Amino acid sequence: MQPNERHFHGSGRRLWPRARGEAPLAIAMVLPLFLWLLGTILLPLLFAIRMSFFDVGIIGTGGAFVGLANYAHLLSSRPFWEAMGLSVKWSVASLGLQMTASFGAALILHQRFRGQGFARVWIIVPWIVPTVVTVIMWRWMLGTSGGIVNYLLQALGLISSQVGFFGTRQLAFASVVFINSWRMFPLTGVMLLAAMQSIPEELYEAARVDGASAVQRTLHITLPGLRPVLFALGLINTLWLVNLFDVIWLLTGGGPGTATTTAPVYIYDVAFNAYRLSRASAASVLFGLGLMVFVFVYYRLLGGVMEEEA
Amino acid sequence: MSVRRLVRSLGTWLSVGTLLFVVMAPFGWVFSSSFKPTRLIIASTPTLLPVPFVLEHYVKLLRASPYLTYLANSTVVALLTMVIVVSLASPAAYALYRLRFPGRDYLLRIVLITYAFPRMLLMIPFYTLFTRVRLVDTLQALVLVNVTFAAPFGVWMLRAFFQAIPREIEEAAALDGATRLQTLTRIMVPLTAPGVASVAMFAFVASWTEYMFASFLINSDSRRTIPVGLAALMGQYDIDWGLLLAGATLTSLPVLILFAFVGQAFVRGLTAGAVK
Repeated sequence: MQPNERHFHGSGRRLWPRARGEAPLAIAMVLPLFLWLLGTILLPLLFAIRMSFFDVGIIGTGGAFVGLANYAHLLSSRPFWEAMGLSVKWSVASLGLQMTASFGAALILHQRFRGQGFARVWIIVPWIVPTVVTVIMWRWMLGTSGGIVNYLLQALGLISSQVGFFGTRQLAFASVVFINSWRMFPLTGVMLLAAMQSIPEELYEAARVDGASAVQRTLHITLPGLRPVLFALGLINTLWLVNLFDVIWLLTGGGPGTATTTAPVYIYDVAFNAYRLSRASAASVLFGLGLMVFVFVYYRLLGGVMEEEA
Repeated sequence: MSVRRLVRSLGTWLSVGTLLFVVMAPFGWVFSSSFKPTRLIIASTPTLLPVPFVLEHYVKLLRASPYLTYLANSTVVALLTMVIVVSLASPAAYALYRLRFPGRDYLLRIVLITYAFPRMLLMIPFYTLFTRVRLVDTLQALVLVNVTFAAPFGVWMLRAFFQAIPREIEEAAALDGATRLQTLTRIMVPLTAPGVASVAMFAFVASWTEYMFASFLINSDSRRTIPVGLAALMGQYDIDWGLLLAGATLTSLPVLILFAFVGQAFVRGLTAGAVK
């Protein structure tokens, strides 16, 4: 910027008034969105909290004020705690598998090869495609009616008879973890890739000159360089995972039994199968509180990463 | 040197090939199998190619199932969602990322919070409130829900695109005598077109895939959307896999076509946020 330009900005109030003058325009541009969010998130949220103190079953029935009864019932109910616990188990298992696969995908895509632009974009197809499609695909492939996975495992001699991938508690849980990780890992993969690409090449060169192996370079340059992104991704990914409903519901309906009944599945079930709307409301409030605690603890324990960036 | 290079490029091709295979092969498999007769689809020994090649599943899907109704509903909802999300998110993103005004940081934080907001919390209030105002079983209700969840992410996605345009361009336009409105329409809109297209695509895709709210907000088959419709087909006792595979293939098509046009900008918007 040249000195006379700066001077011009001083008298630029003639053209477009700065800071103070920008406010009316800015507010006008921002208002529609925030009014929308106010009406569709804040108000319903308050309504949900209010509803949890009443006793509403199917629409039109009940409505008596019951204070904390719903909460007391939930906090002492085994299915509720099982669902919350399963959500934790689900998040940890999924995060582990997904992040590992993402990191591998990012490393692979970081290489130079013909068609790298194409690959780095189309890799996220599993996430782009509707979840219903993913569910149909894997239900068929892992199923017993022409399921190719069973065929391949038998052909390779790994199993002797067909496996019901959704039939037992452990297998169903593992299958859902695998399928969702398959769906999500490319998305987090390209994010990691973008962060990897911003690590200065000089660092790697210097390490190579010093005789560091590829593994050492990855451990001591790539991983530390990715810390801020891993921090953000860890958080956002966990939130996505914990809130996931449709993939799990469509694959197993929460079963067999309650093997895959995570918190969202549980809440949906209480609301629309048991028709206890108020209780489901209370359950979602507790769930929301749990999430807030998690975010708070996450920042407390790992937030140091962000300061280290300086 | 030659051998090492050869080994390295072989390693690259193998790893990339495997990755792409893992990600794409299932789709190719479903797509190809949708043209097989049912007996081959459910056979315990799968056949690689659709020989004989049949269109019976697609014919049944389009003629003898409500799929076209579902398709029409999904399309209407997705297009409306797309238009509203772009209308809400673009000006907001412009103001948040290019203008200075009091409260800007608070609003940015609110966008972030709504983006991470758990949908489960809104499930029951939406159901109850929509029932009260007779919006249950309407497509408008779905549009409302979809916009709510897509708009904050849309604003966030636009950050990279809006911040990438240097201030000097707007200032130069002002120097040339352009009004604020002219600068916005003649300069900002074309420059941010890839970003806006990405958000439009995201809104469309998010709406296209939405299952949970559609499952309890819509009761009549005539207003059902594709995900709920296809899922119902899967819940039947005697699953018609040919029909499902055809449905899955057709349902993926619009999304893949959009992605072919906007995919690059879309990934850019997604990943730019990852590199703060």
